[in-house]
Amino acid sequence: MTAVLEARGLGKRYRRLWALADCTLSIPAGHVVGLVGPNGAGKTTLLNLAAGLLAPTTGTIEVLGGPPPASPVQLARVGFLAQDAPVYAGLPVADHLRLGAHLNPAWDEELARGRIDRLDLDPGQKAGKLSGGQRAQLALTLAVAKRPELLLLDEPVASLDPLARREFLQDLMEAVAEQGLSVVLSSHLVADLERVCDYLIVLVGSRVRVAGPVEELLATHHLLSGPRRDPATLPAGQQVISASHTDRQTTLLVRTSDKVLDPAWMVSEVGLEDLVLAYMSQAAGRSRRNHLEVQK
Amino acid sequence: MTWLTWRQFRAQAVAAAAALAAFAVLLAVTGPHLASLYAASGITGCHSGSCGQLASTFLSQVAATSIDPAVYLLGIAGVVLAPAVIGIFWGAPLIAREFEAGTFRLAWTQSITRARWLAVKLGLTGLAALAVTEALSLIQAWWAAPIGQAARLATDSNFPLGMSPFSLLAFDAHGITPLGYAAFAFTLGVTTGVFLRRAIPAMALTLVIFAAVQVAIPLWIRPHLFPPDHTTATLSSFTALQTRIGPNGAFAFAVQFLPTQPGAWILSSGAVNAAGQLVSTSPAACKSLALSSSPTWTQCLASHGIRIGVTYQPTSRYWAIQGTETAIYVALALALAGYCFWRLGLRRLS
Repeated sequence: MTAVLEARGLGKRYRRLWALADCTLSIPAGHVVGLVGPNGAGKTTLLNLAAGLLAPTTGTIEVLGGPPPASPVQLARVGFLAQDAPVYAGLPVADHLRLGAHLNPAWDEELARGRIDRLDLDPGQKAGKLSGGQRAQLALTLAVAKRPELLLLDEPVASLDPLARREFLQDLMEAVAEQGLSVVLSSHLVADLERVCDYLIVLVGSRVRVAGPVEELLATHHLLSGPRRDPATLPAGQQVISASHTDRQTTLLVRTSDKVLDPAWMVSEVGLEDLVLAYMSQAAGRSRRNHLEVQK
Repeated sequence: MTWLTWRQFRAQAVAAAAALAAFAVLLAVTGPHLASLYAASGITGCHSGSCGQLASTFLSQVAATSIDPAVYLLGIAGVVLAPAVIGIFWGAPLIAREFEAGTFRLAWTQSITRARWLAVKLGLTGLAALAVTEALSLIQAWWAAPIGQAARLATDSNFPLGMSPFSLLAFDAHGITPLGYAAFAFTLGVTTGVFLRRAIPAMALTLVIFAAVQVAIPLWIRPHLFPPDHTTATLSSFTALQTRIGPNGAFAFAVQFLPTQPGAWILSSGAVNAAGQLVSTSPAACKSLALSSSPTWTQCLASHGIRIGVTYQPTSRYWAIQGTETAIYVALALALAGYCFWRLGLRRLS
């Protein structure tokens, strides 16, 4: 499987602050990849690096097998929808399409017009007067109609209301199905991604905590509950992601490729959201511990 | 990219065209009157002896009309202010607005490199800036041609607007210097916008820097671009000798006009002795006669070998100075443009 995005030791520093540090990850092609992480995890920085808007401070990043877009050819292969979907407020919708047509050799005018018609956007309307959802749709239209191989979407639904969110994602999925794109979209809300992603990367504090196809992640993570016991006594193949205890009971989220056979446990499926939250709080706990150790 | 640049620039271009048209109409309406005054003055076809007097008379007539001096100053002001206005309203927001609105993320992720994006934006808008400024300058020069002609011939500088070709505002408004100013002001605006990434602060900074440069260059750089010439002339050869008389025989002379070099740019002037050294006290024999309007006093000074020394730039250097100054501004503009390309190429922006 070839990688659409490959980062090795990737870091980006703004003056003295590291927005992304020592990030190593590989995103396979042909997926709709959800990039999840809390605010400040480095998602936006990573996507801006991938879009060629930023240059890395350390490490390397490759997009579609080459350096991030700096040449017109590479730029044409990557579609990017920036956070908050920037558009030219003073230009009408129709002029945004002309802009796309003028600046992209592979521009698909039919696709763009079709989308604008279907979305009921008035071509004469100034982009600054559009609602947040319409603006995001317009920006997505620009990104899709340039016919990229890889589509990078930075928090595309963050500013949308629930209905607009659903419509946007549905529409995105149609575009993906039609064009066979690889997509990376970031969000700090798992619920947004659950419906559309078939691959998930959890990024916390610049580090990839877990990555893999959604089905595989769900199949290998189990929620175990049973009488109180020390997680250290589990079999070797079972990796504890999170543990909580009451006086009598222990609840564990474990990752294992084998079946859990111990009859003491009640095994249940875990939802994607709980899974992601477990990894996030695991990372948060770890960094707190590190912090305490440093203070000692 | 050409299309997008034009689309974003359209409203400003229309405003500039409207201002230019209004300017042209004003000068076209008032121009014929000035031209007829000049035709009636008899300067055309004058003989060498009478030209100076005729020119002075014509300039006085112009100054006495109710409207021509105002239009003249307005025209000069329009040409001199145009680069600043362009730098502030075209240059500063050009890139800064893209940062403010975040639209650079949209523009830079189309299939076009940001170097090309910047080159087209800078190139097209910059050319428009040059064209507008030069058009203003040419229209104003056409209108003021009779005044310019007369100013070169006039034997004194009685015209209230005191226009030698080197006069501060006239030099700035005519020839090729407006092109240099426009190029510099525009790229200065773009650069402050790239640097500050906020349009309003960039506009303010552009104004401050441009004003400072426009004061510094004429005052401290322009006079020294070429080594000035020196000459001395007798006291009696000056009709308008500015005199200051202090206690104990102290005195000073100054002239604004060199009869042998009409239109020359006087950098400094003063009384010198036969050896060419500056003199600031009256010879003992003349002290008692010191009165500014007294011919006996000046005759006494003259008989003691006192003359007027003048440091000046002759009119023959007009184009050399114009060209050099324009080259300096164009070089500054190119350096600033280079900085913009370098800065945007760093990809530090987010």
